[in-house]
Amino acid sequence: MRHPIVLVLAAVAVLPFVVRPVLATEIWIFAIFGLGLNLLLGYTGLLSFGQSTFFGSAAYVAGWLLKHYAINAFFALAIGVAVGAASAALVGYLCVQRSGLYFIMLTFALNQLFYFVAYQWTSVTGGEDGMPGIPRPAFLGIDFTDPLNYYAFIALLFLASLWVMKRIVESPLGKILQAIRENEVRAEAVGYSVPRFKLLAFVIGGAFSGLAGVLYAMLFGIVPLEAISFVFSGNVVFATLIGGSGSLYGPIIGSIVFIWLSESVSVIWARWPLLLGVAFVIVVLFFRGGVVEAWSRFWSWQSSRQRT
Amino acid sequence: MLYALMGLGLSLITGILNIPNFAHGALFAVGAYLLVTTVNAIGNFWLALVLAPIGVALLGLAIEYAGIRRLYAAGHDYQLLFTFGLALIISEGIIIIWGPVGFSYLPPPFLRGGVDLGFTFYPKYRLFVMVVAGLLVLATWLFLEKTRYGAIMRAGIENKEMVSLLGIDIHRLFTVAFALGAYLAGIAGALTAPIRGINPNMGVDMLGVAFVVVALGGLGNLLGAIAAGLLIGVAQAIVAAYWTEASTAAIFAVMAAVLLVRPQGLFGIR
Repeated sequence: MRHPIVLVLAAVAVLPFVVRPVLATEIWIFAIFGLGLNLLLGYTGLLSFGQSTFFGSAAYVAGWLLKHYAINAFFALAIGVAVGAASAALVGYLCVQRSGLYFIMLTFALNQLFYFVAYQWTSVTGGEDGMPGIPRPAFLGIDFTDPLNYYAFIALLFLASLWVMKRIVESPLGKILQAIRENEVRAEAVGYSVPRFKLLAFVIGGAFSGLAGVLYAMLFGIVPLEAISFVFSGNVVFATLIGGSGSLYGPIIGSIVFIWLSESVSVIWARWPLLLGVAFVIVVLFFRGGVVEAWSRFWSWQSSRQRT
Repeated sequence: MLYALMGLGLSLITGILNIPNFAHGALFAVGAYLLVTTVNAIGNFWLALVLAPIGVALLGLAIEYAGIRRLYAAGHDYQLLFTFGLALIISEGIIIIWGPVGFSYLPPPFLRGGVDLGFTFYPKYRLFVMVVAGLLVLATWLFLEKTRYGAIMRAGIENKEMVSLLGIDIHRLFTVAFALGAYLAGIAGALTAPIRGINPNMGVDMLGVAFVVVALGGLGNLLGAIAAGLLIGVAQAIVAAYWTEASTAAIFAVMAAVLLVRPQGLFGIR
């Protein structure tokens, strides 16, 4: 696969006609979310289990401003990115000082802190009922209440995010992060301040999560409590892993598979998280490496067969 | 004290097996549900209190044997996904078997009511829980510090390769540690049931608390787990007295505050 971007563009063009536009929109939003996580998980080697902290915080803050102060869409996006980055800076500052299991547990525990604040602060967040009534304001005269218009908007933002992320991972910064993933002690010895770069990766990842959070709130017109819960954090980790975390395109494939599957199954059975759990277990036991790796293994198998 | 018990079990599992056990909260919830079911079935609280955690330990044994055993070589991301998947399966299983609505459960008749301690009036059952939890923590401590297998287990936390080089079956050690950790989670759940009632979310709520205890106390650090458990328990009680809504968030806020001052945790060296 020499030009995966062609496939991505094709998917963007075809998807809204294959599945409902709302679902297609959700897929690309989730992909932006996954891109942010993958910078941490795939490129820096940091397993953050608290990404919904930034997603949810941005959704709540921008949603609140959209609802009560009727800010325009552009401003809402900027707010979301800023809130995502700021909350990630806060959480990251505490987490990057520890590594390994401690790091994972801290991201989760701080995720729970934000969750309980959202759960109890009902006058703002609506608690368990969520924060409904978020408008989708028009932008440059384009009416976003039309699902296809909004889809095009999200798809463009997604492609822009992908381009930005590609630039980041190919930049010197991206190389440093990968060096940290490969050998932390060595990166430190070469002279890079590892905690500072981890924090930077965290903030960038948080900004992507924040953007996704606002878009999600505008898509559904509500910020559900789940948007800031650990389940959401787990979902994005899962989606990234089934796609394959080592690749830039892994989380994109993961989002398509994950959102489409969970949507199809959840309408059939209310207890679908059970199946989700079973899927996690099966993937871990039998399909480690994700779709991208399975795909490339398939291709190398194909080419070796043709040669013989 | 219950927090200490919960954190201790997780601390053992994470410390020895070096995996993030996201199913720990689910094991806690299973302990509570099993207790209530067993009491309803056989009508004896004491026997149920013995049996329910053993059931959880057996479940832990099965989980380690069937799944986690294969994942020691895999990264934390896959171990996390696996235990998280298990947690989803168990908590959805609870909803399917026992229903989505939680119910309250009263302590056995002889432990109802309160005791006059002179300066305050304290519920009997809470005293009972404190004593039992204290005894369990003491027993675990004695087991780890004073017995041969306990020493091996501590050695396993320090250096796994060395332990297995000395000819000790490290896989069996892992299995025992996981079962023991599951047992402690199960009995913490069983003891909690009469205090807070039971509902399908109880596991997740407790999981965060257990992580806080381990993050503050240190992996495999017994004393740390007890100190951290007491610290956040007291902090939560104090906040609850003045601002009830914030009491759960207070646990995590305390953790954040401690980590700001001491990033390595209470007794941590890493």
